[in-house]
Amino acid sequence: MGMSSIVKLLKSYPSLPIIAALLVLFSSLSPYFFTAGNAESILLANSVVLIAAVGMTLVFLTGGIDLSIATVISATAVVGGVVMAQTDSVFWGTSAALLAGLLFGLLNGICVGFFGLNPFITTMGTALVARGIAFTLSEGIAVKGTPEVLLDFGFELLWGIPYIMIVGIFIVVICSLAMSKTTWGRQVMLFGSNREAARYCGINTRLIETSVYVLSGLLAGIAGMVSIANLGNALPGVGDTLLLLIIGGVVLGGTHMNGGEGSIMRTVLGVTILATLTSGLNLLGIPFYDQLIVQGVLIFVGYTLAMKLSRT
Amino acid sequence: MHKGARPVLSVNQLSKAFSGKTVVKDVTFELYPGEILALVGENGAGKSTTKNMLCGLLTPTLGQIFVEGEEVPEIQGVEQGISAVHQELSLFPSLTVAENLCINDLPGSALNVDWHETQRLATEQLAFLGVEIDILANVESLGAGKQQIVEIAKASMHANKILILDEPTTSLTVPEREKLFSIMRMLKERGVAMIFISHFMDEVYAMADKFVALRDGTQVGTGYLKDVPRRELEALMVGRAIGESAFDLHKPSEKIALSINNLSSHRFDKVSLAVASGEILGIAGLMGAGRTELVESIFGIRAASGDIYIDNEQVSPASVSKMKKKGVVYVTEDRRKNGMFSGRSVKENSSAAGLSYFVKQLVKGLGFSGEREAVARLSQDMNVSTPSIDASVRQLSGGNQQKVLLGRWLATKPKICILDEPTKGVDIGAKFEIHKKIVAFAKQGVAVIVVSSDLQELLDVSHRIMVMRTGHMVGEFERENFDAVKIISLAASSVHEQSQQVAS
Repeated sequence: MGMSSIVKLLKSYPSLPIIAALLVLFSSLSPYFFTAGNAESILLANSVVLIAAVGMTLVFLTGGIDLSIATVISATAVVGGVVMAQTDSVFWGTSAALLAGLLFGLLNGICVGFFGLNPFITTMGTALVARGIAFTLSEGIAVKGTPEVLLDFGFELLWGIPYIMIVGIFIVVICSLAMSKTTWGRQVMLFGSNREAARYCGINTRLIETSVYVLSGLLAGIAGMVSIANLGNALPGVGDTLLLLIIGGVVLGGTHMNGGEGSIMRTVLGVTILATLTSGLNLLGIPFYDQLIVQGVLIFVGYTLAMKLSRT
Repeated sequence: MHKGARPVLSVNQLSKAFSGKTVVKDVTFELYPGEILALVGENGAGKSTTKNMLCGLLTPTLGQIFVEGEEVPEIQGVEQGISAVHQELSLFPSLTVAENLCINDLPGSALNVDWHETQRLATEQLAFLGVEIDILANVESLGAGKQQIVEIAKASMHANKILILDEPTTSLTVPEREKLFSIMRMLKERGVAMIFISHFMDEVYAMADKFVALRDGTQVGTGYLKDVPRRELEALMVGRAIGESAFDLHKPSEKIALSINNLSSHRFDKVSLAVASGEILGIAGLMGAGRTELVESIFGIRAASGDIYIDNEQVSPASVSKMKKKGVVYVTEDRRKNGMFSGRSVKENSSAAGLSYFVKQLVKGLGFSGEREAVARLSQDMNVSTPSIDASVRQLSGGNQQKVLLGRWLATKPKICILDEPTKGVDIGAKFEIHKKIVAFAKQGVAVIVVSSDLQELLDVSHRIMVMRTGHMVGEFERENFDAVKIISLAASSVHEQSQQVAS
């Protein structure tokens, strides 16, 4: 591999040096880190964040932000859980969760794309609404009555990979292909790069902007169902602590908040960084609150590095 | 002719290198009090780097600088009485004129600014320059021309020796430009030396005493303008003689491609015009005459009332997607704001408006096969100079960016082509190439509308020129009756004279 292809690789994936450093560091500090068992637990613990981070990436690429994504995960999980408790059907539960995610996404998308409202404020409002719905519907406690099939789905592996992570990988692949191989994906990138120029090119900018919020909501719905499979119950507060992890993963990966620069694969790496870090620090027995400090520092360092590398 | 025996600034073989690559080499000149030196050259010739060294933003890599006879390692700027007005305005839009003027050195103490003194100083400075601007008005409420004057007032407040003006007239109307020139003349009389950077050769010859010409980062000539005819100076800048620029135009067809009837909006009123297939219609006028608003309304970007016909079929109200389907394209005047996707590649920029002309998609919306080859061919056709079509478009020079944008739209095989300032910020070589493209395109039967503030450009390429002033069409000239003086005076005359004007 020549020098220039290394430079190119780092430009496309500016977070690679950090991942490499973390892997080397934790492998040398803990003998359990680099084992199949640990890999499995990392994958199990991070599929929800990964799926949501894909949605957040799409929104970031247009220069927006979806602050509601975390509590929409909670709300859709509760909706799915309640429906499953009534019907004992995973199909109806999933349909209801996806529909709920879609509606939240539409609400954001129409407000931002068609009415030109600020994404930060709009999605903050939606976040509160979703949180309220999650706690009201569940009466503040875990929704019981998850069908056995879904519980099994949450634990079983295919070729050593948990099914719920396969859902995540599937979503990553589909969305990556959509970004690189479809006109829609190209238009999302162009819109994020310069929305006025996109309008002058005859691109339906309202539709493009709306579409990413809708997808983000839909992916939050999938993440909500995956959270039930992962945790066994629909929890009304499941998404509450995830927002910073989701945004952190996207940013660490090197997708720009201003839009037009970034990719889903970058986000995969960004999420991997935070996942590896948590796992490694847990193995080393570092207390939770100290971990937060390390996470915070890493986001500073990683973000700076990502911005520098992707711009050189 | 020098009042002082000693030059206020003298530089000797000034050079600047960035990470080993020399971008400006051997700039040498002497500037005496009250002299105006024009810094000329094509885009990318090194004018900005030179300017930045002269105002203290960059430290030269090599060369000597003498300020009032004393050698200094670099220019400090205001402390030495040197200040610059850059192309991008540096004013705070929400502050008042007085606050802006004094912002670099507010009177009073840091915690207790003396606002009365601020206002007094501002009033004094504006009176000194002989301009009337309300010092308590917010800068954002002023027009571009007045903002430019405030900018100059601010710069000359601290710089009593040398004032550097970088393209100060590009956003000004004719009267505003005259005002600016009179201020420059007054400063000159008071012994302030000026370094004047301008694309407009007529301005250079009207205002400057001497020149420094740069080409590809090297000084290729200096001297007194009275000794060097304009053609010679232009040839020096370009490195070759410029050919006769007016084209031998073909005859357009009789078939009307686009006509508009009584189109109105809040920026223009009851405008009617028609353009035939193969015809190049120039629209002349001043900044702010409503030309861009008019053509953007035709393209469906802005709302307007009135009728638009394409091939005698009514298409209004217009929308961008509808106009695109009808074969209308519009190349914007403001590349950066609404033309380029600056972080994206040349490839993506080229195909942005008409992917279907670049890509064969078996399933609609899916796949980009063939795009690479098609864009490469287009870039070659348009003579775009780029390291690769994957390079981001912001790495290209202004001329090449403009060619990418033109290519983007010409590739869609338009029937009606609206070009708004097609050569703005483009160097002379690229400009001529773009003009050739426009003429060749019209020859194939495309109806072309060119909006331009560069009258020479319109005289060179148009079959017909219409003149717009404050939202009205006020005159029309056929090619055989082109008269630059008449067109300018028609475009620039005040509204009261309007009724007396007779279009020829």
